[in-house]
Amino acid sequence: MILVIAEQKDGKLNRASWETIAAAQQLSGGAMPITVAVAGERVSGAAGELAQAEVTEVIAAEHAALAHYTPDAFVQALGQVIGEVKPALVFFPHTYQTRDFSPTLATKLDRALVTDVIGVKQTGGTPTFSRPMFQGKLTADVQAQGPAPHLVTIQIGAFRADAAQKGSSAAPIKNQPVTVDEGKLRQKPEAPFQEAKQAVDLSQAERIVAVGRGIKSQENIAVAEQLAKAFGAELAASRPICDNGWLPMERQIGSSGQTVAPKLYVALGISGAIQHLVGMKGSRTIVAINKDAEAPVFEVADYGIQGDLFELAPAIIAELQK
Amino acid sequence: MEAWRNVNRETLEVDVLIVGAGPAGLSAALRLAQLQKQQGGEPLSIAVIEKAPDAGRHQLSGALLDPSTLHELIPEYESKGAPLGTAVDNDNIYFLTQKSKFRLPITPPPFQNHGNYIISLSHFTKWLASQVEAEGIDLFWGFPGQHVLYEGSRVIGVRTGDRGLDKHGKPKGAFEPGADIHAKVTIFADGVRGHLTRQLYSDLQIGRDAEPAQFAIGIKELWDIPKDRLKPGTVIHTLGYPLRQEEFGGSWLYAMNDGRISIGFVVGLEYHDPLFDPHAAFQHFKRHPFITRILDGGQVVRYGAKAVPEGGWNTQPKLFADGALIVGDAANFVNSTRLKGIHLAMRSGMLAAETALAAVRRNDTSSNTLSAYKSRVDASAIKTELYPMRNVHQSFGAGLIAGGAYAGIAMFTNGRLLPDWHGHAGHRVMRTIEKYYGLEKRDILVPSNAAPIDRKITFDKVTGAHYSGTHHDEDQPVHLLVQTDVCHSICGSEFGHPCVKFCPANVYEMVDDGTGGKRLQINASNCVHCKTCDIMDPYQVITWVAPEGGEGPSYDGM
Repeated sequence: MILVIAEQKDGKLNRASWETIAAAQQLSGGAMPITVAVAGERVSGAAGELAQAEVTEVIAAEHAALAHYTPDAFVQALGQVIGEVKPALVFFPHTYQTRDFSPTLATKLDRALVTDVIGVKQTGGTPTFSRPMFQGKLTADVQAQGPAPHLVTIQIGAFRADAAQKGSSAAPIKNQPVTVDEGKLRQKPEAPFQEAKQAVDLSQAERIVAVGRGIKSQENIAVAEQLAKAFGAELAASRPICDNGWLPMERQIGSSGQTVAPKLYVALGISGAIQHLVGMKGSRTIVAINKDAEAPVFEVADYGIQGDLFELAPAIIAELQK
Repeated sequence: MEAWRNVNRETLEVDVLIVGAGPAGLSAALRLAQLQKQQGGEPLSIAVIEKAPDAGRHQLSGALLDPSTLHELIPEYESKGAPLGTAVDNDNIYFLTQKSKFRLPITPPPFQNHGNYIISLSHFTKWLASQVEAEGIDLFWGFPGQHVLYEGSRVIGVRTGDRGLDKHGKPKGAFEPGADIHAKVTIFADGVRGHLTRQLYSDLQIGRDAEPAQFAIGIKELWDIPKDRLKPGTVIHTLGYPLRQEEFGGSWLYAMNDGRISIGFVVGLEYHDPLFDPHAAFQHFKRHPFITRILDGGQVVRYGAKAVPEGGWNTQPKLFADGALIVGDAANFVNSTRLKGIHLAMRSGMLAAETALAAVRRNDTSSNTLSAYKSRVDASAIKTELYPMRNVHQSFGAGLIAGGAYAGIAMFTNGRLLPDWHGHAGHRVMRTIEKYYGLEKRDILVPSNAAPIDRKITFDKVTGAHYSGTHHDEDQPVHLLVQTDVCHSICGSEFGHPCVKFCPANVYEMVDDGTGGKRLQINASNCVHCKTCDIMDPYQVITWVAPEGGEGPSYDGM
């Protein structure tokens, strides 16, 4: 028997669950019964949807501790479902969630885990799984060894969700009670959040003050910060500054950093290596401050000031604050 | 050891693994395919791994191709579309002084290039790769070999580089451990100063009975100049300025179609002056009135650099070991007198393929069986060509005049009558500041031959790195291992930080450490994979290892 672990969030199934059912159906070819299990706090709706598929049974494993995903709770709950159902194979969609808990589950059960599977077939009665190697350059056929069940994760997009066959009548749904020892949960989930976009999006900035090696030391970055503040500008840097860890890498402008085109770009102590220039030469107005009159940055600057940035920056700040 | 280092690695079992998809490695692969077809039998599994992201991206040479090996490997190369570029039309050798030039009245035989072609090695390699792929051989682009795998003293394959490590060596989200590729025979075609062949040098002592290897650095630019300035097929070599008597080297300038020229400068990595800068020498060369007149109004389109194994026949290492063969530049098969090695690399690849196939068929890939490769090399055109010239590069260590005389005698006597001349590894002949300059005070941060940069004819190294198209993710471990404190403790006073000078891509910089001293900053992302630092650093503390697969220069037309 093949057990498919479907994945839901807030009662909504993801497409990968259907793809995984399609993979199980293909391997089975009607010869092996398929059971689908879905775990969560309240999953009756999702279980009802899954029952439409051409499967033998749907198992709903509900527990309050499964409301928000934690690997420990899912390993406990799914371990019990597998122990109850005693399948030969367990198929998972190869989602981030599966990737997070399936190695632990396999280790707990002491069973083989075949990940990232893109093809399934029977070879002389033995299930055989194709998985990519060398970044997809080669495909290896593997067979799991050791006692059942074997755990298999099905790569996203390898099977078509709409290839999952629907049954002529709804499959029976069984509520499978699971216990979760909450004292053994090492993770405490917070409410899920939408990851904020990159904290600094320099490409959207209207004004940028970029600082280069002329700033000499980490303490002096404050000078550039003040100048940026006075301009109402974002702070950015050339490669050496970020390489030294004086500013985070996401503030690096140039061929190995970001490309920007703000209305105003102030290059502070930046000599203007071509690698930096390619990242900022599209700026509307470029102001360069450098003590070396020969610095290539002056070739792209609209306004160039030759002089000591430690004298010029405070003077500019004072002028802007007038 | 951190837990993630013990990850399970993928393993791949093949019959023959070829490390490096340059002319040598690809010729080996193609020859294997051809021989299998001729001989029939169970087809071998063959894999070729290469650190470049796709064919030819790490290939750089002058280049003049002697098509003799190509004739044998792919007789129908013309109909198969070999990119042979421009046939050589005329040869010229000049001796330069600072302001003038003298044309050598006769072109010495090694410099005669009638019947040869001016090619782009990166284009040629791309074509060769397409011939190999057409035979159904798997080429793995973007997979650098990182460690030689042994079972006892037997080479059993190569571990490829890990991907997705951050700059502290910790796995990032997309971490993927390198794979172990096991092979009955591993053919090392990892190029000049190959970082895997270098492991064989230390682990298996393959250089024990050889003369110390000798290298040069070649720095190259492609330019587009007004079309009518040089006739396509024009070949110019120069000697002399800006090099002094004590430095060995010279320039090339090859004119291709449509105003495209290949211009470059080669300096032997056995110079004595610790503050000498090969890149600066190239800039001085371009500022010579003869050369400036050619370049004026033109535009640089590419830049690159690569070391050249110049030591010749006597510097070839032991070419075989249990489970291993060494081919091409990795085995130092270059004729430095003729400035050619592509045809030798290809031939050595073919001979290695013949040996490897026979050994796998016999199910005996021991050193004893694989020694047939050495016999094949000795009976081949490689020896015929290299043996007479075996001492030429070494003799130039004694100066231009002595070297020139020796080279002349070698040429006319076909190498007989002459005693073997022993060379020294280049890094050992670099002198200390005190020995070279006496007690005179110098600014050690400035090259002794610093050149003005006008950004029209001459460019700084950082600009060069840009034109090489090189790219490395900043958030990965530095791929130039310098595990020592000699850089800031004694190197300044002893050698004046020569790495800053000999690196052609501004990878090495001495910057203020904030306490009044200097510290070494390694701009690994500039690296063009030339290997000069690994060769020339006087303390031998720099080890070049492969960065993440697919990174490095992006040569096109080089």
